[in-house]
Amino acid sequence: MRGGCTKAAAARFAGEARSRGVVRMVCLGDVLAFGAQPTEPQVRVINDETARIGRWLPDTFIGFCALNPRLGERAVMREVERCVGGLGFRGIKLEISNNAREPCMKPVMRAAEKWGVPVLQHTWSMTNIRKRNLHSDPEDTAALARRHPNVQVIMAHLTGCGYRGVLEAKGVDNLVVDTSGGYPEAAILDFALEHLGADHVVYGSDLPIRETAITLARITGTAMSADERAKILYGNARRILKL
Amino acid sequence: MLIDSNVHLGPWPFNLVPAFTARALAARLRENGIGRAIVAPTAAILAPDPGPANRALFAAVASVPALLPLPVVNPALRNWSEQLEAAASGPLRAAKLYPNYHNYRLESPRLDAFFAAALSGRVRLVVSARVEDDRHRYFGLKVTMVPAKSVGAFLGRHPRLHPLILGLGLPDIRAIAPGHANFSTDTSFIEWRNALADLVREIPARRILFGSHTPFFVTQSGVAQLAASRLTAAAAAAIGGGNAARFFEL
Repeated sequence: MRGGCTKAAAARFAGEARSRGVVRMVCLGDVLAFGAQPTEPQVRVINDETARIGRWLPDTFIGFCALNPRLGERAVMREVERCVGGLGFRGIKLEISNNAREPCMKPVMRAAEKWGVPVLQHTWSMTNIRKRNLHSDPEDTAALARRHPNVQVIMAHLTGCGYRGVLEAKGVDNLVVDTSGGYPEAAILDFALEHLGADHVVYGSDLPIRETAITLARITGTAMSADERAKILYGNARRILKL
Repeated sequence: MLIDSNVHLGPWPFNLVPAFTARALAARLRENGIGRAIVAPTAAILAPDPGPANRALFAAVASVPALLPLPVVNPALRNWSEQLEAAASGPLRAAKLYPNYHNYRLESPRLDAFFAAALSGRVRLVVSARVEDDRHRYFGLKVTMVPAKSVGAFLGRHPRLHPLILGLGLPDIRAIAPGHANFSTDTSFIEWRNALADLVREIPARRILFGSHTPFFVTQSGVAQLAASRLTAAAAAAIGGGNAARFFEL
């Protein structure tokens, strides 16, 4: 959600999504509102806005706690406890404050394990992008998941991860890939189904950036069984989010 | 039924999309409500001479009336006149250009004769500004999209032309449209939320053509975007087919 989201805007997003059949949405907050390195108070501002949106439409939005892992263990633990323990958030969202292999991720993963929540890591192939100190390549996110087998990791952006990213995720039981991000490129979801299986793919809309009709059609326009489609569109998310 | 102005036939080495036969491609399009499509040969994009790929395309679609062949011309090659003549003899009387893959700038003075010949010969021009998302291209392929600045310079240099420019994004159109009205574009890379509604505020609906970018993109996604758009019925019908019928005189 963008900073300053009004109740009316949140209701509009929810209504549009519902008209396409999307009834629950993970709300990630405006994670880049203060740039790549938000301070501890700025992280709280982001999460307070997420909580506010969740309170407006509790039957629709599920909050994820934004963090800056480089703020250190105490700050991370404090914010996760506040958001997951106090505000009812059901996951942790990591953007581009650091690379997923960095030691600062250890407290984040310990917090996720302690509270039993998934970690959604922004991920994009770094083949053509040179900012790996801030961004995470699929091999970084897959390494994170392997190091912390008791934490469910969601690797964001299937299209951005690409074919190589799918192969990085292969065989990592506690890792799922989401379908958000990028243009609706053909064949990559088929490839993910072949190599990861439907149990390891979840639908992501990238709302309000992208058009829900397009992102949903990526799933419904790709050949797969009804069972596979159900897992991707809601079954896996229901399991991961304990809904 | 929709008319799709942005379709390719043939395999692409940098993704794993299964190669469609012409009949299978037509069937895929038909399943998604697309009755006719303007189809270019993928093989011509990377070929040193587009001629063989064009001839293969014409042969492949000869018995598939839903697919209308759009040959590729490389105006930077010495034989451009011969290529243009071949394109003029096709059913669409049109030629498709890939400036970024064929190593020329649209606004270059050395192409003036080519564009003058296309104009005088009444050959419609379709320009591909982008085939792939730059962020995902094969690491060894240093091809980026045709810059909006170059497109604008081209349109300014040839004001009597009215090309169809495929693959532009909303920011590109916002950069080009204020200075130039002599172009149409397609919907394939117009992807953000409510972007079609935003697009018709930038350029009139009569200059927007539906393009799914099949098989690079999931066909149903492009169709869903149009169906979900908050356009008037008249605008949606024009974008969905009326404009293509007029542009290509179908």
